[in-house]
Order: sequence, then structure tokens, then C-alpha cells
Amino acid sequence: MNLRNWIRSTALASSMLALSSAAFADGVLRYATVGEPPSLDQQVVTSDLATTIAHHMFEGLYTFNASNSPVPLLASGDKISDDGKTITIALRKGVKFHNGQKMTSADVLASLKRWGEFGSRGSLLFSNVESVDANGDYEITIKLKTPFGPWKNLMAFINGGPAIYPASVIEGKGKEPIAPKDYIGTGPYKFNEWLPNRHVELVRFDDYSSPDGEADGYAGKRVAEFDALRFIPVSDVGTRVAGVRAGDYDYAESIPGDLFEELDKDASIATILNGGPIFGLVFMNSKDGPLKENFALRRAIQSAINKVPALQIAIGPEKLWRSNGSFLPEGNVWYTDAGIENFSKGDAEGAKTMAAAAGYKGDPIKFMVSTNYPFHYDTAIVYTKQLAQAGFNIDLQVYDWATLIEKRAQPDQWDLFFTHHGFVPDPILISVMNDNYPGWWNTPEKAALKAKFTATSDPAERKAIWSEIQALIYEQVPTMKTGDVYTYNIASSKLKGLGEATLIWPSFWNVSK
Amino acid sequence: MNFISTIQNVFRGRTLATIGMIWLCVILVAALAAPIFAPFDPLDIDPIGRLQEPSWAHFFGTDHFGRDTFSRSIYGARMTVVIGLGSVVFALIIGGLIGMLSAYFTRLGHVLMRIVDVLMAFPALLLALVLMTLLERSVTNTIIVIGIVYATTTARILFGMTLKLKGEVFVDAAKCSGAGHSSILFRHILPNLISPLLVQASFIFAFAQLQAAALDFLGLGLPPEIPSWGNMLSEERIYVTRAPWLLLFPGILIIISVFSINLVGDAMRDSIDPRFKDDIAGV
Amino acid sequence: MLAYTFKRLLALIPTLLAASVLIFLFVHLIPGDPAAILLGDTATPEEIAELTHAMGLDRSLITQYFLWLGNVLQGDFGTSIFFRIPVLSVIADGAETSILLASMTMIWIMLIGIPIGILAATRHGSWVDQIASGGAMLFASIPTFWLGLYLILIFAVGLGWFPSSGFPSISDEGGLWNIRYLLLPSLTLAAPNAALIIRLVRASMLDVQREDHVRTARAKGLHPTKVAIRHVFRNAMISVAAAFGFTFAALISEAVVTETVFSLPGIGRLVVQSILRRDYPVIQGVILVIVCLYMIINLLVDLTYARLDPRVSLK
Repeated sequence: MNLRNWIRSTALASSMLALSSAAFADGVLRYATVGEPPSLDQQVVTSDLATTIAHHMFEGLYTFNASNSPVPLLASGDKISDDGKTITIALRKGVKFHNGQKMTSADVLASLKRWGEFGSRGSLLFSNVESVDANGDYEITIKLKTPFGPWKNLMAFINGGPAIYPASVIEGKGKEPIAPKDYIGTGPYKFNEWLPNRHVELVRFDDYSSPDGEADGYAGKRVAEFDALRFIPVSDVGTRVAGVRAGDYDYAESIPGDLFEELDKDASIATILNGGPIFGLVFMNSKDGPLKENFALRRAIQSAINKVPALQIAIGPEKLWRSNGSFLPEGNVWYTDAGIENFSKGDAEGAKTMAAAAGYKGDPIKFMVSTNYPFHYDTAIVYTKQLAQAGFNIDLQVYDWATLIEKRAQPDQWDLFFTHHGFVPDPILISVMNDNYPGWWNTPEKAALKAKFTATSDPAERKAIWSEIQALIYEQVPTMKTGDVYTYNIASSKLKGLGEATLIWPSFWNVSK
Repeated sequence: MNFISTIQNVFRGRTLATIGMIWLCVILVAALAAPIFAPFDPLDIDPIGRLQEPSWAHFFGTDHFGRDTFSRSIYGARMTVVIGLGSVVFALIIGGLIGMLSAYFTRLGHVLMRIVDVLMAFPALLLALVLMTLLERSVTNTIIVIGIVYATTTARILFGMTLKLKGEVFVDAAKCSGAGHSSILFRHILPNLISPLLVQASFIFAFAQLQAAALDFLGLGLPPEIPSWGNMLSEERIYVTRAPWLLLFPGILIIISVFSINLVGDAMRDSIDPRFKDDIAGV
Repeated sequence: MLAYTFKRLLALIPTLLAASVLIFLFVHLIPGDPAAILLGDTATPEEIAELTHAMGLDRSLITQYFLWLGNVLQGDFGTSIFFRIPVLSVIADGAETSILLASMTMIWIMLIGIPIGILAATRHGSWVDQIASGGAMLFASIPTFWLGLYLILIFAVGLGWFPSSGFPSISDEGGLWNIRYLLLPSLTLAAPNAALIIRLVRASMLDVQREDHVRTARAKGLHPTKVAIRHVFRNAMISVAAAFGFTFAALISEAVVTETVFSLPGIGRLVVQSILRRDYPVIQGVILVIVCLYMIINLLVDLTYARLDPRVSLK
């Protein structure tokens, strides 16, 4: 295959030379990514980069509008029975897959089933699902064991979510991500090629059937203006910035905060804030080591840290971060101040006393961090200094991300580890709510509140229970939030239709240049 | 004295090499007395005074942690010396022993030199990169890995040179007078190899600097919390547009130091035994 | 000669086998689990174990090694865990960039290194020689990534003369003109390597100049330039050609730092990225290919020596 390309290129070379390269690039969006996604299978892969690419190809039954409420995408409407246990979803008609097949309830059924069993976030919903059935070609019915509040949010969250694939592709597929040849969805762009280390390319899907209505967040009309979207891995951040400046890329993601002011001033570059903040999390080991069940000691560690200097150093401009203790940001429906007085005390002396009272005798506390994300490492360095001032003996262990992931699965290898979390529209999706997530927070108090939280679908009631859970997190400290970070991307100012901010992942329908 | 006259020989009429030697002494002093010369603690964080331009308070400015780049550069000299000397000692001892023993004991040589061949089939940086991923990032491991890489070349070179000497009259004479193997190897052969070994050492020292900086850049070298010139470049490289001095100073320090070592090595090479000149690679 | 070649080829086999064992061990001893990386943050230990099993990574190392070796001998390097396409096509993709980059670098090295080296040798001891030799040594002392960063800053961002990064295939739109993407990276790589060649050309010319046949030629009254080209340069070229061989082989893998700075889809960066992703089949495959290449070039250089220089015995 490659040899043929070579021969073709040599043959065409002379004629190609005569043509200007700019003539080709007009219809292509060149997006500089931080790396390569592990896979584009939306049902099982939770990488943000994967979603950024894949949500142009795959769609779910629901999606989010600009105010983060779930609205129909491939669905056209739904009904819930009075007891809250039976959900009937009507499907949009005339939707075609990239392979030309019409989307029907059989495809939706097969997709939901695979997601429910193997999808990354599927079990959150499906552990409570009794059955899923089709009524005719364009309607499905989901029967729940007990009423379940967050169902629509889970359906609308495409990252590790229920993307709809053709039944012919998905039947019999398990946990292992599907191969690129099976990347067949209903989105405005379809998969073209994935050249390792070179790019992932999507091209316009001419038979796309768009939802109606004004564009609103991810909802409403979607028009593929570009001939192709090309996602190019450019792992070095300096090179990404230089590339957009030099006109080699139209868009680049994950730019360091410290360059914000300089880039914001540059007339040829647009800075685009990400609407949903990400936040760092320092997980504590609930299964093994000195922190296991010693909530008092964990609170001592929590009290020792002042989050502000770390944010100043790791992120930079104040516009890009908030020292916010609520797990969801201010302005969001889930915002609550429960427990946040303990968020950022920075009280070294108090922490020392608390630690002594908790029986801490200066044993080493292993703190794992990865250098793959500079903001993890920078924050960890600041925390380590602060904890040392409060008398903690922190053993900072720096690994690459792959090693950290392996080590954190082994309870005897660590006491603290650093990771970050993307914005989620429903707190049930936050990793600390997952009992199996490394750290393994699984106390009876948590279990009781979690059961209550999912059993109701009344918004006010769910909000009240979430406040209690957040207060419990500040009391048992399974994890420490480091503050909200508004990441930003940069684009050539020639791009039209981008808006000031992205919702969660950048989207390029309704965008042109 | 013999030693002093040798040194005089090496540096006579070579202004550049002399300047290079002086610079290396400066680095050595800076490394030994870093706490005295450094105006600040190289690890002290200052969230308010980040990314400052060079000034009288901070000669080389401050980095994104607000740490003083000048003080970090001085402490960085320590790593330059430690990594350089460490790799040299490791490579010369391990590689030297393998090379000499292999040349002297032919059968053992058959096995040992095959192992060296296998390792030499790996390009140097690639071997270092894979070994570093295998081990954890630490000073010792960086030394070992760079040491292994250059131990192979050293082994090859010493193998060749020992073979040449083995056939010489003075070795036979020593044998006849009943000297044991170790006495022949270390009392009779080794002294003849000292000056080419010193030249080889200077080249390993220079390569080790560039190799370590490349590993730091790829995130596989010294632990990032240790101030070294390579780490400083690697950590601050995204600020190249915002704070160019953060890359300028450590970069220039690396260049001047490697250049100095090469100049000194070159001067030494010109004054070694012509028999071994072809054996030493170098710049 | 033929018998000698055959013998040398045969001797490669045990070295290659030993190298393959080392490569396999290195790769599998690296901590980290490809299944965990593939499945991401929310995967449970059971799911990871299941995928590990499905990929055959839970079998004993010995079994895995022999399976791999057997397949490699049949020309099958396996499938990339990460990309889910054959390892060979991943390597082939990277090879285009690496070979073009190395070739372009070699051209710079020859254009810069040989003339300056000759100049320095013919004016041995003059200020020209001192500047050339000193300058070469200075360039050999610059870390490549540092040079690369500043070249991007000056020529791509500042002046906008060349692209900053990336390399679209020459079979893509743009065709051969895409070569311009490799200009800055090849110059970055050429700087230290040209410096080495300058010094090598100079040294070998000086060596040859001292030899008898050159003295004779000069004594016969031949024009000095003629002597320099016909007698000195040609003989000096033997060792220079050998250095070119090694440099080319080294450039394929040692370009990793430059490829990272310029974000080029070459072999070197493929190794680094695959290590970060723990894509075992790709790491193993690439390293094995590089090692083979290294050995073959080594052999070719030796054979050329043996042919050109009768002093090298064919024992």
C-alpha cells in the first residue's frame, strides 16, 4: 500500500510541483492535537481527544444545549410513565449511517446493549435497567428497576457514552474498542483515514440528516462546511503554538495558561475558552497504607494545602482559574458550597496538630504524579512543599502516565496520586462516585447517599442530596479538588463560526474558513 | 615534574583549549561550592515573582515557578559534573575491563566481545531511551544508562589497543620474568593506555552532556525536580516566546561546556602516543 | 571476496538473535499495561485483565517471544495494539519521513562538510583552518533541540519563510513540494553531523597527505590542486564514505529529538510515542528493523573497506 503511494507520488511529483499547495488546503480544517487518541470508539473510550474527533462522526440519542441540558439528537421525543420506570423514546426518521443504511430501532437497541454491558459509563445506567426493547422501527422502550434520575444526562454525554452504531457493526463486539474500518456513525463527518503519527482525517458526509432548529450548544442544526477535518498530532506544545502562528494549523488545543495574554493580544489568533472547567484531583488510598480509613489524617493533609499558589504557578492568568471548592462550577445547577470551607485552608500549624492527633508519626506518604501533564507536575511540586512545611514526609514519585496508571491499580504502591477530571454535566459521572476507581472510596455513608441520589429524578431533591455527598467528600476526603481550570484553545482568526467558548469539546460543524 | 610538563605540552600555544580548561575549572568550582555562589535556594517557589526578566536581583531571570534561574544554573553545574564524571568512570571501568580482558584472554574475549557487538547494534540514543524507560528516572540510572552506551565503544577501543600491546616485547619480557596475568595487565599494559584513556574520557564526558540533555528533553532523564541544564531547557521550553532568557542561558551553558571539553580533548589527542591515534574516535 | 561476504553474513545471525531477545525483554519489562492505557481512566481491573487476555499478553514471556520470533521470520511483525493495523505499515509510514529527512540531511552534510573539510586540510594551520575546525567543534556542541527551537522561532514564526512543523506525505496534496517541511529539521540535524564530517575529511586528508605515494606525486611536480583531488581526496574518501554510512543509519533513529521538536511523523518519534503508549509490537518491530539496518550498513561499510583497501585482510 505504501509502495504504491510512493510510486504514485513520484509520478505525480512534477505536475504537482507546478500547483500551489494553498489551493488544496481551503476546504480542510487542520487541527493540532496533543497526541493520538487511543481509539475513536465512543462507547468505551473516555479520552477527551477521542471525543473531540469522534463526536463529528458519532451521535447519540441526546446531546447538550448551551445551558448543559439534554435535548434530542437522534431521538425525536420521549415519554416517561407515571411510576418513572418506563421510558419510551421515539427515533428521528430518515437518518442514514455513513455506509448508506437507514438507522432504525435495531441499531439503537444493539448499540445501547453493547454500551450497557461494555461501555465505560454504561453500567451507571444499565445496572438499573431491566430491559430494552424495540416497538417497531422507530421507537424503543427502556424498563428500569427503580426510577433513575440521571438517565437523560447519561444518554447525552457522548464521552464513553451511548453513540449509535449500525447493528451490523456492533453485534457481538465486547469491551475491546472497534477497529477504524467499523467507524460508521450518523454524524456530519465520516471517517476517512487514520495514518499513524500523521493524522486522523474525517470528510463531509453528504447524506447527513441534520436535526432542526437554531444551533444551540451541541443541539440544533449541524452543517459540515469543510471538505475535511484533519486532526494532526503535534505533541510539543511550543510547536503547536508556533504552527498556528506560522499558519500551518488552523486550530490547536491545550495551550499553557501563561501564553494566554500574549496570544489574546495577537490579532491573527483567536483564543477560545473551554466552557466547562477541568479540575485536578488528588486521590487518597482507601484500601491500603497510612491513609486507609484514617479520615482525621486525610483532613490534616487537606488543611495543610493552600490551593491558590499552585493555581498561580501551574495555570497563570487569573482569568483561567478559580479557587473553587464546589465540584461543579459557579453558575451551574449543581453548584453547592457544602463543605467548601475546608477546600483551601493552607494552615500548616493547624495541620500539624491535626496530624499529630490522628496518630501521624512522620511515616513517608507516597505521592505519585506524572510529567505528561505539566499542570499535574507543577501543582504536585507546590503541594509537596506546603505539606513538608506542615511536617508531612512526602515521597514524591514522578512517572510517565502509563506507569502511573499501572501503579495506581495496585493498592500497596501509593498513598496519593494526581489526575484531572473533565467537566461533566451530572455529578454521578465524577470518577470519585465510582466505587472501583483507584482510591476505592466505598464507605457505608457514601453507599447510602449514592443510592438515594440515583433513586430520585426530582431536580431539587437530587441537588440537595448532592450537597450532602459533597460535604461527605470534604469530611472523608477520598479525593482533594485542586480548583477549576478553564483551558483554552487557539485558532487562526480566519475561522468563522467558532464563538467565544466551546461547551466541552470543540465542534466544527457550522464552522468555516 | 613529568605530570606538569605533560600538561604544559598539551596546552602550549593553544589559547582556546586553555580557555576551555579554565571554563571547566569554573564549572567544577561552581558545582562544589554551589550553596556559596547561588544567591537563592534553587527550589524556592515564588508564585508572585514568576517569569521575571533578568535583573540585578535575578541575573538570569526567574522561571515559571518563580525560581531563580541563576541559582538553578549554578546547581545545574553539579549535575553536569556528576553525570559527566559518573558516566566516564562507569564506561571506562566496565568498558575498559571488558576490552582488556577480552584481548588478553582470547576465549573469554570471544564471548564478551559478542555481547558488546550486540549492544553496539543498537543506536546509542535509542538504547539509552529504552533503558531509561525500563528503569526509573534517577541520577544513578541516568549515569548507568549513559555509561552502558559508552562502555561498549570503550570496550572496542581498549580491545584493539590491548591486542596491539600484547604482542610487544615488553609484555613478553614480563611474562618471561614470571609476572602473573593481573600484573601484566595492570602493571605493564594499563600504564601505556592511560593517555588514550584520558582522551576517550574527555569525549565520553562531552557526549554524555548532550545525551543527558536529550534524555531530559524527552522526559526520560534526570528526575524533573533536580535542577540540571537539560531539565531547565525541557521544563521551560514552552515559554520560549514569553521568556526567551529561560532557554538562552542554560542552552549557552551547555554549548560552552561541551565546546570546552571538546577543545581540551582535542588538545590532549594531539599529544598522545601516535600508535593509538586511529583508535580514538571523538569529534 | 564472495566467501568472505558469506561468512560475515552468517556471523550476523547469532548477533541478530541475541539482539531480538534483548529487544523483547526490554520492551516487556517496561512497567505499564497497554490494556489499561487503551481502556482509559474508568476501566475496572476485571476489564483490563480481560483485554490483556484477549491480546495474549498474559501468556508466559517465553511463549510470547517464540510466537513473535516465529511470526517475524515469516515476515509478520504483528498488529499495532494502538492503531490496530499491521506493524509493518506503521513502520513504512514512518520510514518515508525518516528516509527523506536523513537523505536531505546527508545532502547538507556533503555540501557543507566536504568542501570546508578540504579547504581546512589544504590550508592546514592557517586561520581558515582554525576557523573551520573551531567552528565545526562549536556546532558539534549544540544540543539539537535547542537549535531546532530557535530555528522555528526565527525562520517559521518570525520570518515565515518555512513551515514550522509536521510533514504531509509527498504522495499527499502538495507533492514533492512538501519537502520544504523538512528544510529546517534537516538543517538542525545537519549542524552537528556536518561538523563531524568537516573534521573527519580534514583529518583523513592530512593523514593521506603524509603517505608515500602523495609525496611521490608531489615530487614528480604535479600541480598541488591535482594532487589534492586525484591522490589525497580519493583516498581520504574511503573513511569518509564509511562515516557517511554510519551517519545515515544513525540519522534514522537518532533524529528522535529533532522529530519531536518539529513534530515529524518519523521512525524516531514513533519509538518514543509507542513507548509512552506501551504499544509492544510496534516498539519491538521498529527497534528490530533499526538494528538490522544498522548491522547491514555496518557490514556494507566493512565490505567496502575490504574491497578498496587491500591492507584490510580478509581473514
